[in-house]
Amino acid sequence: MRHYESVWVVHGDLPDEEVKSAIDKFSKIITSQGGVLFKLEEWGRRKLAYKIDGTLRGYYILMDFAGTPTTVRELERNYRIDDRVIRYLTVKKADKVDVAARQAEIAAQAQAAPAPEAEAPPAAAEEAAEAGEAPTAEEE
Amino acid sequence: MPAMPRRKRKQFFVRRKVCRFCVDSKLIIDYKDAATLKQFITERGKIIPRRISGNCARHQRSLTRAIKQARLLALMPYVPSPPPA
Repeated sequence: MRHYESVWVVHGDLPDEEVKSAIDKFSKIITSQGGVLFKLEEWGRRKLAYKIDGTLRGYYILMDFAGTPTTVRELERNYRIDDRVIRYLTVKKADKVDVAARQAEIAAQAQAAPAPEAEAPPAAAEEAAEAGEAPTAEEE
Repeated sequence: MPAMPRRKRKQFFVRRKVCRFCVDSKLIIDYKDAATLKQFITERGKIIPRRISGNCARHQRSLTRAIKQARLLALMPYVPSPPPA
């Protein structure tokens, strides 16, 4: 199995229940296609860099999983069908993945206390910072 | 000795540009990390060329790719929106 990572964006004006059901649906697609979902990371509602479908807000979700090309094909097919999904990007991280090892790694990260959890909030903080400060100078 | 140009040779310093990704292995190129990628685009949203940024070819390639992926996900702009007047 290959190691993939998929980031997708749900229309930001949708209520939370819709987002939840979408997340449910797509994580199930991975498992039903013989994939293993390692990690599901919600970045939450973020400001888009440009308007998509008349909105400037999007709910970002990252899925870290193992699967076959068939898994990805099915997943992406469903992204295209589902109107709630406005953007998606699936990236292959590695050709081979040790499922047990990766699961242990994720578990260890989760164990490492709120540290990995803190990974999500910076995204929101970053968004706020972006609004205010001018582009950071290219300095060392 | 060949004749020297009459005017004094203009002195300018060429600051040696180094690939920041080669120097700092902690700095990784990731399409999800818009804050880092942002340092490599102009205020017009264009990718800064290698001759300016000093990146090595390999890193410039992966950087370009990452920026384009980030743009697709609307993490970065293709064309920045004009500042509020």
